Amino acid sequence: MAEVYKLIHPVKYFNDYINRNVRPDGRKFDDQRDIKLNVNAIKSADASAVVKCGNTTVVCGIKLELAKPKAEEPELGFFVTNVELLPLCSSKFRPGPPSDHAQVVSNVVSDICINSKSVNLKELCIVPDKLAWVVYCDMVCLDNDGSIVDACIITLMTSLKSLTLPKVNYDVETEEIVVDTSVRMPLNITGLPIATSFAVYQQSPRSIVLIDPSADEEEMCGGVGANLIICCNDEQFCGIQKFGGSNLSTEAEKKTLAIAKERSKLVEKVIETCLINEIK
Amino acid sequence: MKISIGDVVLPGDYCEEISQVAEKSKVIIGPGLRKEVDRVYITKPGVLKKRNPGTFWVDSYQKRYVPSRGENVIGVVVQKAGDIFRVEIGGSITAALSYLSFEGATKKNRPEVQVGDVVYAKMLVASKDMEPELVCVDSHGKKGRLGVLSDGFVFKCSLNLIRKILNPNCPLLETLKNEWPFEVAAGMNGRIWIKANSMRETIAVGNAILGAEYLNDEEIRSMCNNIAAILAGHVS
Amino acid sequence: MEIEDENNFKLRPMKCELNYLSRSDGSAILAQGETVVLVSVNGPLDIKSTSQSIEKATLEVLFCTKGGKPSVADRFKENIIRQTCETAILGCLYPRTGISLTIQELEDFGGLLTCTVNCACLALLNSGIAMRHMVAAVCCAVSEEGNLVLEPSYTQVQSASALLYFVFDSRERNLVTGFTEGSFSENTYEEALARCRLASDVVFDFYRDIVKQYSDVI
Repeated sequence: MAEVYKLIHPVKYFNDYINRNVRPDGRKFDDQRDIKLNVNAIKSADASAVVKCGNTTVVCGIKLELAKPKAEEPELGFFVTNVELLPLCSSKFRPGPPSDHAQVVSNVVSDICINSKSVNLKELCIVPDKLAWVVYCDMVCLDNDGSIVDACIITLMTSLKSLTLPKVNYDVETEEIVVDTSVRMPLNITGLPIATSFAVYQQSPRSIVLIDPSADEEEMCGGVGANLIICCNDEQFCGIQKFGGSNLSTEAEKKTLAIAKERSKLVEKVIETCLINEIK
Repeated sequence: MKISIGDVVLPGDYCEEISQVAEKSKVIIGPGLRKEVDRVYITKPGVLKKRNPGTFWVDSYQKRYVPSRGENVIGVVVQKAGDIFRVEIGGSITAALSYLSFEGATKKNRPEVQVGDVVYAKMLVASKDMEPELVCVDSHGKKGRLGVLSDGFVFKCSLNLIRKILNPNCPLLETLKNEWPFEVAAGMNGRIWIKANSMRETIAVGNAILGAEYLNDEEIRSMCNNIAAILAGHVS
Repeated sequence: MEIEDENNFKLRPMKCELNYLSRSDGSAILAQGETVVLVSVNGPLDIKSTSQSIEKATLEVLFCTKGGKPSVADRFKENIIRQTCETAILGCLYPRTGISLTIQELEDFGGLLTCTVNCACLALLNSGIAMRHMVAAVCCAVSEEGNLVLEPSYTQVQSASALLYFVFDSRERNLVTGFTEGSFSENTYEEALARCRLASDVVFDFYRDIVKQYSDVI
């Protein structure tokens, strides 16, 4: 019955829940979904992680390659992130070239990485102007149930934290490259950016902020891409994004900042615990 | 910010006066206004107007036509599909015109309308969710001034200009009609049809209408006199 | 953090011409400082049935850079503008139609996106499409010393440690769109948001002036 009601009257169905101060999946407005994190799930990748935030599942695999640095920036390595939203993860995506939404998510994730300055590109350089690491971070969404950016950032940062770079010997005269995989150095990651998504639901006169929204909730709150995404990094912010959707008042905005800070501490703990368990 | 009648208004403003009037009597809100919960908000930029006792609207600038019920429009027949004609009226989709909605038309006696004909018709149905529907008869089955416009010349202009020249206070047509004979039909969708005795006269009427867009009444009168003088050959 | 005096509050001079293009349904050219953008709006018009929505008008945004080569960054900008304008217009009045916004960058000397959003709003005003509210974009840079600079110049953008962009609505001055570059503290964010909110009034007043000028003749 409830399923039919939801199909026929999606707005009323949602409003009925909101009026009782509860969300359709039983959470309170400021409850987030459980996070399950697994490191090194893909053995063939140089580093990897799988995260599940509720139903949202994202896999991240990191591949290392060697390349010659750009002539304009001889001292910098390369750090490339990409998010793929395949037809697998939601009925909304069609096969073919990446959709506009996928490009936007990809852009948001890479912006957060660049703005947080977590990865020092100078460290990726082995010999200036000759040899540098290229870190390819590919994130594939297996199940898209909202708050995709949060999941992408968690899996990306976990993978990066578990990444080790093998030692490379470069002979300047012969230009010979010897990779010693037995000696591995971890990559230095400064800070730990954590993104938190919010959906703003306009039920006039009040506007309600839903933390960690599911896909259905995102749909009700202005469609895909209207989320407010706040990215915290060690008490600093490295990206606050909101594109349209319902308008946000000053009080609501202050509240979201506080929640984002709190949640980032929690997620940080999750990642650290997971990494420690992996080492054991 | 306080908004009163005659002010330049912008989308997102709200008018308290309308709510105050609404408490006492019935209010009709026209284009550019929208009721949300308990306030009336402006949705289009322009000048807020009022006609007593309780009609409010916003005079705004627009070029694209959005069909609205009861307006007379000029369209071009683009397709004959079974028992309806599809008429292009400048809106987002074509409007339907049944062949039975002409004066004296029956199943046997079809009106003679060809693809490419210009028709002057009234909007019978204009809802945002449905295809607009036109008729060429009034409720008594008489055609009145509606129907196919033969010969003549059609040109497009902004929707404001149509409203301006159709305003009973506008001196343009009043002045022009005394100078030389012509027929004119103005569609609320920003199209004007003119028929005069010669090409020269047709162009003169067209130029006079287009030239009136940004002029005030006094300037319109002097422009009309100028054009008449040129047309009569007094000035070369 | 040091708070600068009022003269820092001035936005760059804005110049605008509405109805710049004769054939489109609405158009505007806007110069903010030396950054110039041209926007044309067409609609509501017929679009292919796959992209029609039965609930509201579909907004299509095309961003043309000066170089002319489309990139992922352009898709990102288009997304920002589409989402922002979708909030502003009353799309539910024009179901199953399309509204197309074409943006041409003419000069970019910093603040291209704010100029684009403001210009898009002016073009929408000119087109007569029903809108819920207007939007005004303001940009704020955080200099290396931690000072806030509203509407930074090209050189200030290059040296800034963070850039914050905000778009406000004209009803309650609520935040419609916001996005940031670089990292910053919570205080900086709050401060920048408050100052940009105040500065958005200048932009809204500018809109009113422009429409007033045109309402006399139109």
